Order: sequence, then structure tokens, then C-alpha cells
Amino acid sequence: MFSDLRVRFRSLFRSTTVTQEIDEELQFHLGQQMEKYLRAGLTPDQAKRRIRLEFGGATQIKEDCQEARGISFVEHIEQDVRYAMRMFRRTPGFTVVVVITLALGIGANTAVFSLINAVLLKMLPVKNPEQLVQFSKMQPLYGEIDGFSYPELERFQHETRTFSGLLAFADLGDVNVEANGRGEIANGQVVSGSYFSTLGVSAILGRTISPADDQGSTVAVISYKYWRERLAGDPAVVGKKIVINNYPFSIIGVTPPEFFGLQPGQAIDVSVPLKMIAQLRPEYAMIGTPYDVLTWPTRSAFLIMGRLRPGVTATIAAARIEPLFRDAMNEEARGLAGTPLDSQPERENRRQARLQVSAGGRGLAALRERFSKPLWILMAAVGLLLLIACANVATLLLARAQFRQHEMAARLVLGARRLRLMQQLITEGILLALAGGVLGIVLAFWASGSLMALMRHMGTPIVLSVQPDLRVLGFTLAISVLTAILFAWIPAHRLVRTDMGLAPNVHGAGKSAGRSHTTKTLITLQVAASLVLMVGAGLLVRSLQNLKSFYPGFRTDNVLLFDVNARLLGYTVPQTNALYRRLTDQIDALPGIRRTSFSMNSPFSGGFGEASPTIEGYQPASGSPPLIVDLNTLGPHYFETLETPILLGRDFTGDDSANAPKVAIINQRLAHEIFAGTSPIGRRLSIPTFAGDKSWYSIVGVVADAKSEDLREAVKPTIYVPTEQTVVPAGVTFAVRTAKDAAAEAPAVLHAVAQVDGRLSLSGMKTLNDQMDESLLQERLVASLAGLFGILAVLLASVGLYGVMAYTVSRKTNEIGIRMALGSRRIQIAGLVLREALLMVVAGLLLGIPAALATGRLMRSQLYGLGPYDPMTVLFAVGLMTVVAVLACYLPATRAMRVDPMAALRYE
Amino acid sequence: MPSARIDLPQGTLDLLILRTLALGAQHGWAIAERVQQVSNNVLCIQQGSLYPALHRLERRGWIKAHWGTSENNRRAKYYELTKSGDKQLAVGKGAWETLTLAVAQVLEAI
Repeated sequence: MFSDLRVRFRSLFRSTTVTQEIDEELQFHLGQQMEKYLRAGLTPDQAKRRIRLEFGGATQIKEDCQEARGISFVEHIEQDVRYAMRMFRRTPGFTVVVVITLALGIGANTAVFSLINAVLLKMLPVKNPEQLVQFSKMQPLYGEIDGFSYPELERFQHETRTFSGLLAFADLGDVNVEANGRGEIANGQVVSGSYFSTLGVSAILGRTISPADDQGSTVAVISYKYWRERLAGDPAVVGKKIVINNYPFSIIGVTPPEFFGLQPGQAIDVSVPLKMIAQLRPEYAMIGTPYDVLTWPTRSAFLIMGRLRPGVTATIAAARIEPLFRDAMNEEARGLAGTPLDSQPERENRRQARLQVSAGGRGLAALRERFSKPLWILMAAVGLLLLIACANVATLLLARAQFRQHEMAARLVLGARRLRLMQQLITEGILLALAGGVLGIVLAFWASGSLMALMRHMGTPIVLSVQPDLRVLGFTLAISVLTAILFAWIPAHRLVRTDMGLAPNVHGAGKSAGRSHTTKTLITLQVAASLVLMVGAGLLVRSLQNLKSFYPGFRTDNVLLFDVNARLLGYTVPQTNALYRRLTDQIDALPGIRRTSFSMNSPFSGGFGEASPTIEGYQPASGSPPLIVDLNTLGPHYFETLETPILLGRDFTGDDSANAPKVAIINQRLAHEIFAGTSPIGRRLSIPTFAGDKSWYSIVGVVADAKSEDLREAVKPTIYVPTEQTVVPAGVTFAVRTAKDAAAEAPAVLHAVAQVDGRLSLSGMKTLNDQMDESLLQERLVASLAGLFGILAVLLASVGLYGVMAYTVSRKTNEIGIRMALGSRRIQIAGLVLREALLMVVAGLLLGIPAALATGRLMRSQLYGLGPYDPMTVLFAVGLMTVVAVLACYLPATRAMRVDPMAALRYE
Repeated sequence: MPSARIDLPQGTLDLLILRTLALGAQHGWAIAERVQQVSNNVLCIQQGSLYPALHRLERRGWIKAHWGTSENNRRAKYYELTKSGDKQLAVGKGAWETLTLAVAQVLEAI
């Protein structure tokens, strides 16, 4: 038994070797025989003739030997593949159409899956990522918060029986890095000394930051990408000096190429020790205020991850660390006493906080949370698309099956087993699908790259590796094979059941009833699936339109935005104020500029400051949470620049300087909630939670509500204060209202800024419209892709419908001829064809509409300004599907009308 | 060459090969020669039946093959009997003897 397998095995995979061996063996035999005859005294010629007579054809013997060794499955496959290739070469048009259809379906699936893989599935490129956990706390007031304070971190570090390592880090966002005398914006973070050792990431050059650096060494670790791109891969980079935000550091190492930090989608360029946050973000270092991140217990600035010891689960870890957390929270609650933050709800908020420990091996959750829903929607869409492609290819194969019935019947008569024929047909299908898969991967690689280029998170481009890895390739292979089985099964099954009687040239006209029934079902399913896709896409597109046409509370066209960060250049607060004023004046003086102002947060830039204000004479109802407002600091004439209507009072002006009486402007929502009915002008408020500032601000104006972050969310109560009268933010965004096209003024504005201070590095120059568009990028991305898939689906379905109807008409030529001869009018004939087609379409629509409505319900959270059962969208999709279907039947119907009854009758 | 050549009954060729290989490993040509000599030129195995038979026996595991060097220094494929081939030879021989005895008895009785 074993030798049987071995011999067969050898003959399978080493087919050429085996043939050669048999050849050599036979040659040897002939040689021996020759020698024997020569010894017996024959001449060489005589010997040769004798041998030729004695032994028959060598080929025959070889084949017999091969046969004796046995052939099997794999050899059949080889045969089938060769046969299939021949078939494909004979019908290149058919093959190309099928492969392209499949490539579209498989490619779209692979592209979306590689994004899902990169965003949702991939583990961090660190040692044993599955052991990593991330900490977060659940607070009654603020919900889930993943930031922890420095004192909390110090407490947790004692829990060494649970964690083999505990790391903390904080994102610095943009930092200004000067290397080789050239300054550029880079992405920075501060990390604890345990960061790299806990992750198990070691430097490819030099060393990483270690616990010895925890006291605040001025050392920096740079990323591989930064090293290659900004420092030209300098091999002597270790020990080099760089200046980060005006503070000197020396480079101690380079991280491996695959390491990007802990936030998928983001690429950290430089990491420095945790304590350096005080130097790099001077606004954080106000010792003794709630802004001092290193001592203040309520300042949750750091993210914490731990590596679990073997055998410890996240639940055990959470239970063990709970007492430490409780102590920290109680201390925090006590620490509130005497601070501006102190209030009963804030204290309760601390006491009732709960610690959560969750899996962290895939990195921080932000990107996953933001993109998981849209990505799954897209995955569902491409899944449907692939099903439609399958049904389409199946219809094509069924049509071709008609022509192959004779071939199959002939082979059956010649003794082929049905299973064998089935294997052959499935092999053909798998080959087609694999070809589609290979083309699809190429398509997907290109597509997922450009898809990613369109994705943004918090306004910054997303950096992800979408290179197809084993998981993606496995996925593609799996769906290719599955696809093949899906689309090849029905036609193969049907073909193999071919009656042997069809072998001699009998036309199978009467045998096609079952086939056309299957075809009709397939078309119906395609129509239904296309409708679902189209309704889904339509809902998304209409939501996007609603979002775009929404008036956000300011005029978005003709505004140019750019960021300036004077602190990065070491400006003091008074210098910064003077700089911003000079910049404003300089730009205002340009022709074509209407108004210039600036703000700490520009609209839709992501991230607004929150504050809990105290309002004179206002006492929140007892038990209710404290009032939380959005807070923004503005330059003079901000509302005039953005054209936000001022409902009461005035805009900020140049007179609202640091030494002038402090003033504030509130939005309509806040005015309504607090001062319902009475004028807020002249009332006073303070915002102690904002940098511990206890001074009173007089309300001088009320402005219309303006959306700040998310068009879907209601406008929050908002307080605006003049930049100069509060903590001056590190960076501001300038807004320039232009008379005409904003982008066209960019060079002049840049020039004006350079005249004020040539060292200022501007970043993020774009129009407000672009910024708004960016905030809708995800919606637009999903809507346009879903739309694209919807259109593809409709096209595929109509091509399928066309094919079937064209085939039906050609098959029924005879019947049509008879009908005409019996007096049917041509228009009736066309009606007959249309009726048959529309029956399939209507069946598909009837099936599709409930499915589409259910889909709408599933997508509810992604919709804006319309319900899940949007009649307009459904009507539009049904209408479009019907129109396209009628168009697809137009040609077959006209061909039916043009049938010449006499010719048709003679034809048979 | 012999005039009295006989077609071999089904299965006999296998037995002849196994018996010949019981004397030691041999290549195909030598097996045929040996059978021809021993049978006084009566049994002449054609190449066309010999090699398929050898491959079939190999597949059944009764003989195994390896490449070696022949007496005149050429690369040749040598076959040798395996344990199960040895058993098969005994079984086949027994069957053959029973068969020939029975056939002879019938032929002589009439």
C-alpha cells in the first residue's frame, strides 16, 4: 500500500524525472541487446534492423510503464488544466470578460479587506503583542477616558507581579525639529523609560530610551523613516544634536523600520523621555496649576499600556490593580480641595470611577473606532458585488454550457465518468477565479494605496502599511476558490447531467427549460443584490449631500487657513501677542483681503477645548452635572472674518488687549440655556478650569451657533475669549477672508508672513472649504465607493440581463417567426421580449426592496438628515434599475422585431 | 532464435520475474536473458511486456528499484525482491504448481 502511494507520488510530482528514467532504462536495454547481437557476429546495421523488428514503438512501452505506475488526481488536474487552457485560448473573448468581471469583484474585496486588515486586524509589530493591555477609566461625568495622570502612573508601576512591564507615553503632536540646520515639523511623543523594553522593541542603531533616562535626559530616539528621509540614513547619526521646539537633544538611536508607535495610522518620528514634556510643551509646565502634567493628579495626560505576565488575564490584571487605582482616585478627589475644579460632582466623579483593562495588542483604539463601521459597510458592499459577479459569470458559463453539451455528451459516451467531468469543469472555474484573483490583487494593491491616501484622522494623513501580507493573500485565495465553486457549480452540475443521447448532433432545444430557469433565478438575484447596493449607496450619498448643504454657522468659501506656532521659536507670551497682531495687520494690508483673524481652534480642525465655567448669579440645579462648554480663544474681528452673525452686542476688537477689561462672547445655545429670556450682555463669567484663571470676564456679545467639530452633532454651549486675555495658546490658526478665490491669495499671504519673521514655519495652509471637506472625508470616501460599487453592480446585472435576453431571442427565432406568420404585430413581439425581461427585473426588485430596507436600518447610524426607509432613495434606485434593464433589453427586443418570418421558418 | 515461443498465461510473467530476482538484484535486460537461457530459449520476454510488468510490481511493493552500474560500466536500473515480494513468490509458486498439476491430471486422465 505504502509503496503504491510512493510510486504514484513519484509519478505525480516528478513526472519528467520518471519519464526520463523509463527512457534511460529502455535505452540501456537496447544497448545490451545491441552488444549481444554484435558479439554474435552481426554487423551493426543488421543488429539495428533486428532490434527494430523485435521491439515495437518505444513510446507505447513508455506509456504502458507510466500506466503501470498508476496516475491519479493530481495528474488529472494537470490534464484538466491543460485542457482548460486550450478552451480559454479557443474562446479568448469569453475568458477575458469572465476574468475581468471576477478581477473587479475579487479586487474590490481584497482592497477593502487589506484596509480592514491594516486598520482593524493587524497586531502591533512588537514582541508578543497579544500580551499587551491598555488602561482606561470609566467616569460618570466624562465617560471612558484613556488618559492617566503622572501620579497614577507611578502608583501602577508597583504592580510587578501582574505586569512584566508598564509603559506610559503622550502624544506631542507636531513638533518643530531642527536637524542639520534645517527646521521641519515632525510627529513627536514622550515615552517612559520602560516604553521600548516593555514593547520589546530594540534599536537598529544605537540604543532606545531606558529607565535611566526617566529623570529627563535630553536624548531622542528617531524612527527609521525619519532617519532615512530627513537625515539621509546617516550611519553616524547616533550622538548627533537635534533641536526640538527650541530645546537641544542628542540622538541615541533609530527604531526598526516596521515600528510606528502604538497608534495605527500614525507615524511617530521622534520620541523623548516623559519628563521632557515640560520643556517641549511649555504651556504644560505651569508648576502647581492643573496644567502641570508631571505633578497634578487630575491631569490625565498619559496613556498607559502594560505587558501581562504569562497566565495573567486582563480581568485578573484589572482586579489586582483596582485597589491602587482606588487609592489614586481618592487622593485625586481629596486633591481637588481648594482648586478651581473642586465641586461635589467632580469629587463623586473620581470616587465612582472604574478602571478598565482591555487588549492592547492592536494598538490604540482611536482609528479602529473611527473606521470600523464604514469599513464593514464597504466590506458588505464589495461582498454583494462579488456575489453579483459570481451570478454573472455563472450565467455566462450557463450560456456557454449550451455549446458544450455535445462535447460533454461525447465524452460521456466515450466512457468518461461524470465525477471526472465535474472535476474538469470545477478546475476550469478555479483557473478563471485564480486568474481573476491575481489580476484582482494587482488592482487591490493599487486601489488600497489610493484609498488610504484619501483617509485622514484628525486632519493628518493616515500612514498604514497596506502591503498584502499572508492574511490578505490567504483571504484572496479563499474568496477566489469560494467564488469559483459558487459560479462553476451550477453550470457544471447541469452540464454533467447532460443526456448521453445528445452526443450525436441532436440540438438540445427542448432540453433547455431547466437551464433557462436557473438563469432567470440568477438574473433575479443579481437585480435584487444590485438594488440593495444602490439603495445603500444612495442613502450614503444623500446623507453626504445633506451634510454638505448644511449651514454650519459661518461662510465657508473664500477663507484661507494656516497654522502658526510662535512658541516653537521661543517667543515669550508678550512677543507672541505682538507677533499675531503684526501678522494680522500685515495680511490685512494686502489687496484682495477682506479681514484677517485667528483662533486657537479653527472650525473642523478636530479637538476643541472644554471648560467648566462659573457664571455669576447662576446656580446649576443641585445634582445635575456641572456645565461643560466648548472654549475657544480668538483674535480681533474673528466673527466678522468668518461671517458668523452677531446676534447681540459686539465682536472682539483690537482694544480687547491683555491689559483691557476682560470680555467674553457666548453662543446662542449658552445664552438660551443660562439666560433664557434675559440679555446676557454685561453678565460675568469665569473659567477656572481653563489654566486656573479665576478672573471674571464680562459678556459683550452673543453669536449664532456655529458647528465646530462634527456636522452631525448639536452645537455645544460655547464661550469665546480674546487670545490676549487668557493663556496664549502655543499655536493659532489664522483665518483670512478673501474677496475672491482664497487659494489664489496663498502666495501673497505667505510672502507677508515671511516679511514679519522669516523663521516662522507655517503649516496646514488650506482653504476653509477644504478643511470642511476633509472633515467629511470619511463620509465622502464611503459614499463614493459605495456609489461606485452600486454602479458596477447595476452594470454587471444589466450585462447579464442583456446576455440572457439576446440568447433567448436567438433561441426563439423560430417561435417568433411562427407568431409573426400567425399575425402577431412586431410591437407585440417586442412586448413579449420585454415582458420576459421585466418579469425577472420585477421579481428581483420585489426581492430587493425588503432587503434594501433592512440594509437601510442597519446603516442608520451612518445616515444624516433622512430616515433608513427613505422613499426617494428607494424610488430612485428602482427607477434606475428599471431604466437600465429596459436599455439592456432594447437591442434584443429590436432584433426580435426585425425577425423575418419567412427566413425564421426556413432556418429550422 | 527459438521457433517454439509460447505466449505466457496471465500472471506467469510476474512469477518468472520474481523467481529470477530471488537469485539477486538484476536489471531488466538480464532478467529477460536469464529467463530465456533457463527456459532453453522457449520463453522470450518482450521488452514491451517486461518493463510495464517491472513497474507494476514495483508499485505493488514486491520489488524495489535502485540505480547502479552494470558489468560494462553503464548506469542501469536494478530491481530486487522485497520481503513481500518473497512471500508473493511463494504464494505464486504454490498456485502455479497446483494449477499445472491439476491441468496435467486433467490432460492425462482423458
